[in-house]
Amino acid sequence: MQFAEPIIVPWQASLDLGFERRGDGTILAHREHIGPLRIQKALFPEGPELCHAIVLHPPAGICGGDQLRIDIEVGAAAQVLLTTPGAGKWYRSAGAEAEQLVTIKVGAGGTAEWLPQESIVFDGAQARMRTVVDLEEGARYLGVETICFGRRASGERFERGSLRLSSDIQLAGQALWHERGHINGGSPLLHSPIGLAGFSVCSTVLAAGIATPPEVLSACRTVAATEVGAQWGVSALPQLFVGRYLGHSAEAARRWFIELWQYLRPVFIGREMVVPRIWNT
Amino acid sequence: MNLARLLQLASPALPVGAYTYSQGFEWAVEAGTVKDEATALAWIGDQLEWNLGRFETPLLAQMMIAWKVGAGGDENATALDAQYLASRETSELRAETLQMGYSLRRLLGELNDLPVEFMTQIAVPPAPTFAWVWSGVATVWQIPPAEALTAWLWSWAENQVMAALKAVPLGQAAGQRILLEIGRRIPAVVERALTLDDDNYSNFAPGFAIACARHETQYSRLFRS
Repeated sequence: MQFAEPIIVPWQASLDLGFERRGDGTILAHREHIGPLRIQKALFPEGPELCHAIVLHPPAGICGGDQLRIDIEVGAAAQVLLTTPGAGKWYRSAGAEAEQLVTIKVGAGGTAEWLPQESIVFDGAQARMRTVVDLEEGARYLGVETICFGRRASGERFERGSLRLSSDIQLAGQALWHERGHINGGSPLLHSPIGLAGFSVCSTVLAAGIATPPEVLSACRTVAATEVGAQWGVSALPQLFVGRYLGHSAEAARRWFIELWQYLRPVFIGREMVVPRIWNT
Repeated sequence: MNLARLLQLASPALPVGAYTYSQGFEWAVEAGTVKDEATALAWIGDQLEWNLGRFETPLLAQMMIAWKVGAGGDENATALDAQYLASRETSELRAETLQMGYSLRRLLGELNDLPVEFMTQIAVPPAPTFAWVWSGVATVWQIPPAEALTAWLWSWAENQVMAALKAVPLGQAAGQRILLEIGRRIPAVVERALTLDDDNYSNFAPGFAIACARHETQYSRLFRS
């Protein structure tokens, strides 16, 4: 008996959001979407200055051929935190590549936090994830991106398929951060000590727009993983903080991030940490 | 090709201080990841194959093209310098390329060998990367890209092996065996780097990045990265 590949029509979806500062608060001034990408209503759990927005992709996951485009524009002095309601799933593909492009532009004095929950790349997925952050002078950014290679809980490893990563941050037209990744399923890089070192979860924390004060860097260095055997490291470059985590648990990676965030947020965003409630559900 | 010029550019005697950097290797030893000849070869070989070979080396090839096109001032060459700098993901890796770039540029000023237009062009960025200045010199000295990339990787490998001899430590013969094996792999890496589509560039190496970050606070250390 033969099983046919399920017939899935690829989605072309886009979400454009524009945030602006009005008086004492940030408002969602512009929203437009095509296809299944939405935003749950703007929330203000910290008061009017900073808007929390939850980006929804109602289909359960991302299939081969899907193209998702998320464009965030944060105006001068506006403050925004974006997250997602759950893990992003990148399904096995029969061949077509799925792509997600996130563009975040922040005006002078504005802040953007891009804190999506983890992306799970299924065995056999053909995935391309791209993030471009463009900051004006005086703008700030804080983001975390966590990738799970295969569904480890069900014993799956990333043995086939391909993942392409692309991540850039610019500040006032100057490149601050530039990373490219091309990881094939089953690649020796997954086991190499210079690569994933046999771990299935990798988190990258980036905060940009201002120098990391030495005492904050020291505090971040003391943050340890809560899972046995994990590896992590942090460094401060001019106007850029970088943190890396390798482990097996996305939950532990998030706990590590939350502890860093507690130190980084007052510096980069100018506010105390408030964990989005959606992360606890 | 002027072989003597190439050997001069790739020599450990080039006074830019390359020998003071280990690029995370010293932390890999401290962490127990590298503990003998086999694990040293694995670390250096993987760096060659998955990091330098797929990002730094093809970028160096692009820089050489930009230098050639832009005799006297190609903007793309400067953009590639900025791109390379933004790919240095820890403070020590960044400091390393900037210090070596600074030292090489200063040295060139004292050699009285390079054309004035070139010296004017490399004076433009306040803090050029070593890769950018080096690729410019290689281009002006008319070293073909394949040979230049081979020499670049060779001097990097030699430097890594010197770090291994001190940090692991390893014996001289073990170091030479590692270099033999790395030398065997370099031609294929160079050939791929010369034509690698930038869609296939990859410098994603989180284990390496963590080693470089942890080195910053390593208690007892011989190297500056």
